[in-house]
Amino acid sequence: MSTIINADTSNGLKLTSDTSGEIELQSAGVTKAKVTSSGLQNASGSAITSQAGKNLIINGNMQIAQRGTTGTAVPGGSYLASDRWKAWDASDAVVTVSQETDGPTGQFTKCLKYNVTTADASITASQFGMVRQMIEGYNIIDLGFGTASAQSVTISFWVKSSLTGSHGAALNNGNEDRSYPFAYTISVANTWEKKTVTIAGDTSGTWDTDNTAGMIITFGMGTGSTYEGTADAWQAGNKFQPTSTVANIGTISNWNVTGVQLEAGTTATPFENLQYGQQLALCQRYFEVVITNDGNGFYGTPGAGTDVGYSNYFYQTTKRAAPTVALAAGGTLPTVQVSGQSGFSSYASAGVYARINGGTTISSEL
Amino acid sequence: MTTENYKLVKDTPQGEPSNLIIRLSDEAYIPKDEANTDYQEYLEWVAEGNEPEPADEENA
Repeated sequence: MSTIINADTSNGLKLTSDTSGEIELQSAGVTKAKVTSSGLQNASGSAITSQAGKNLIINGNMQIAQRGTTGTAVPGGSYLASDRWKAWDASDAVVTVSQETDGPTGQFTKCLKYNVTTADASITASQFGMVRQMIEGYNIIDLGFGTASAQSVTISFWVKSSLTGSHGAALNNGNEDRSYPFAYTISVANTWEKKTVTIAGDTSGTWDTDNTAGMIITFGMGTGSTYEGTADAWQAGNKFQPTSTVANIGTISNWNVTGVQLEAGTTATPFENLQYGQQLALCQRYFEVVITNDGNGFYGTPGAGTDVGYSNYFYQTTKRAAPTVALAAGGTLPTVQVSGQSGFSSYASAGVYARINGGTTISSEL
Repeated sequence: MTTENYKLVKDTPQGEPSNLIIRLSDEAYIPKDEANTDYQEYLEWVAEGNEPEPADEENA
């Protein structure tokens, strides 16, 4: 028992006292928070700590799309629309992935759409489609996965599809040899529905806690037996969804998602809404595009005589790893000399400006 | 089996070996950082028995 402080709708303040040393705060008889010897807790007994950074998913509201807003999914996977979300189509289907202006009214304005325009009528064992976000290992340290202290996590998201039924997803480790496939039900076609799944932490396997992929959230879009797993259980292997769940790539269909949150604990808390600039900076740890605004380039100073000229570009955010630099076309391009986590340096021939054009991309994606 | 192809980058103007390779499909410069996933793909490509093209005499 506890001492209870209840804001009662009939009598106002209602106090029930005991000697437990604990207090429950209630609204109309329903417990909302507790104070115990362990500290401040929510109604389910989980510690209430700082909520900043609670969502391990970056760009869960699909708002940021630095590369563009649409593209065709390919077998090897690619980042096509909303930042940090990588999509695959390793089947005979044809799939367009896009950032759409759509979402549950009043909560989200953008979503990621996986649109199957040509279906694969016969999905073989190793064919698949999926949408994933790889989470950097540094961001999962406190979950304790791979140890006896592994914490439970809760995934919440909004989803809408033309296909009803039992859809599949999974939580995987970055090494892709541990998986927890789970199902969620879409009850009504073409209607936004919120889904919540709590998963006990994995006490086995290797879960990297450095700048490589530590954890992966996978939304399965259909697969054969190779990547199907047993629902609601940790298991070895790289599994994308449970057996007997919907195969989006098998039907002309669409699937849309937004408001994705992955957090420690057994309770789905409200979505962590970051300011646009904060979320952009988080995305830019993995990908950045040079923006010059006027179609021109950033120039260095040409070298005198036989000396080469240099140009340096410093990133908006320190990158996860030394990034790949793709210079955008325009004029005589320089040679990249160094690509480090803070920026890149380039040089041009003597008498030529080393020019960094708008549209140049810098990528250290997982 | 990837269909990518790669090219080495010539020494820097200071005469130091370049720490980059070029992915020819998009002319992207990939640093030799093992945490870079593009470099990981390059290493897999090399492990399949492929060899990058030699560096240009003049890259700039």
